[in-house]
Amino acid sequence: MSARFEFSFEGRPITAHEGQSVAAALLEAGERCLRIDEAGNAKGAVCAIGVCWECRCSIDGIPDTRACVTEARPGMIVSRQHGLSPCADP
Amino acid sequence: MAAAIEAAARGCEVTVLDESVRPGGQIYRQADPRLPGTEFAEPTELARKKRLLRRFNEILHAIDYRANTIAYAAFGNGEIHVQVEDRTEVLKPDAVVLATGMRERAIPFPGWTLPGVMFAGGAQAILKAQRTSPGRIAVVAGCGPLPIVVASQLTRAGTKVAALASLRSPLAILRSPGGVWHGRDIMREGLRYGSSLLNAGVARLTGYVPIRALGNERLEAVQLARVDEQGHVVPGTVREIACDLLAVNYGFIANSELAAMAGVRIRHDPDGGFWLPETDQEGRTSLPWLFAAGDTAGLRGALVAESEGTIVGAAAASAVRTVATSDALTDAIAARRRYSRFARVVRETLTVPVALWRTATDDTVVCRCENVLLSELRSALDSGHHSLNAIKRHARPGMGWCGGRMCLHSVAVLAELHAGVAPGKMMTPRPMARPVSFAALAQQKRTVAP
Repeated sequence: MSARFEFSFEGRPITAHEGQSVAAALLEAGERCLRIDEAGNAKGAVCAIGVCWECRCSIDGIPDTRACVTEARPGMIVSRQHGLSPCADP
Repeated sequence: MAAAIEAAARGCEVTVLDESVRPGGQIYRQADPRLPGTEFAEPTELARKKRLLRRFNEILHAIDYRANTIAYAAFGNGEIHVQVEDRTEVLKPDAVVLATGMRERAIPFPGWTLPGVMFAGGAQAILKAQRTSPGRIAVVAGCGPLPIVVASQLTRAGTKVAALASLRSPLAILRSPGGVWHGRDIMREGLRYGSSLLNAGVARLTGYVPIRALGNERLEAVQLARVDEQGHVVPGTVREIACDLLAVNYGFIANSELAAMAGVRIRHDPDGGFWLPETDQEGRTSLPWLFAAGDTAGLRGALVAESEGTIVGAAAASAVRTVATSDALTDAIAARRRYSRFARVVRETLTVPVALWRTATDDTVVCRCENVLLSELRSALDSGHHSLNAIKRHARPGMGWCGGRMCLHSVAVLAELHAGVAPGKMMTPRPMARPVSFAALAQQKRTVAP
């Protein structure tokens, strides 16, 4: 049985399994909107295999990180990107 | 995997470049072993997966298997450029087998960019590799076998599937009993998925497609409408269903960018992968060192890919060295022939009428990365920009993060639909086939002379 742990998304705690992707943990927690694009549209996971880049988030300060191919780790800080800036208040 | 196994058996030094964390590709994608829960697939499918992965594991010690490695460029001189984390490397092997597979074919419709609208294969990747479901109440739609399988697997994962909408009846496949007979084992699997949907009481909407996704910041409902044989929406047939997941698949597009970048001859096959490298029976492209195997050379599914991998792996080995032992490929050739016959029948179910692209309205996003609207695409077409290269330069579709993987086939179809332009020619693929950071390019290892 894998360990469970928490990371944060937009300041909220999210529970994940060891070995789970950031996107899967967020979907399981009911989070759908992972990013606000340059035109202000909400975006979420689409292809889930790293091709479409729609789920890119800021993860531990690194922008444009694909949530679907990034393994969740304890204490990770994940936030939505807004347009071209890595977070709401750059 | 099959090509690597065969080439290694024939005495070649083999390097496998895998974008994923662990072997398996899309069809045999493996979950992290630490994750709890079980797989949602049929036992017969899991047995095939186990068998191929076992064969691959047996050669792992003898090959150079590189996980998390992205081949982002291929050049006519035989160089393959790869990225691993924050480094890049230039390789120049004697032969290259492209087994890049396919991605899902999307058809844009109003609201399709809302969070909660996913590819059916994407939803399946979450089920397969993450052992969790991407939604609580789902509508599954599209054509061909994948939506049926995904709808069934979603119910097994505890998601309520509010409706399965199919472009045409899955029973239409029975009109070709000969082809079906060749894939009878796979058909039995499909029937088990189908009957599990019946048992779960999932509503079936035959002839319906999604025409609009509704919601504020996230998907809340989907509108489906019936379409006629030509793909035109039948007025007065719109139905609205509440859901938080729309999983949709309209077939597949080949990942042929690397082949095209290297300069091989490309053919156009609208429902079989769109742009494909021309290959002979042994996977040879128009470049002597470059081979393509499986769906990269035309959509035919995992079983053809496995047997063809063996055949192409052997051909690539012969191109590299004189092989003393030449084990017969009789079994692989027979398996490929048999499953290719079945694949032809399945492909009929993936034929999509061009009129389905008319569900996009002027304010529908065509290129998700660059937010190019249909109206902007149309104005580019009206201004005389007709080739994909010209459309791209003028209106920017395909210039974003995904490199045009999501939209360029649609841009080609829409150009045909709205300006009568023949969609034939692919956009000129240039490096990078995937986004690569400058830092990684700066840290480049080159073991071969340029």
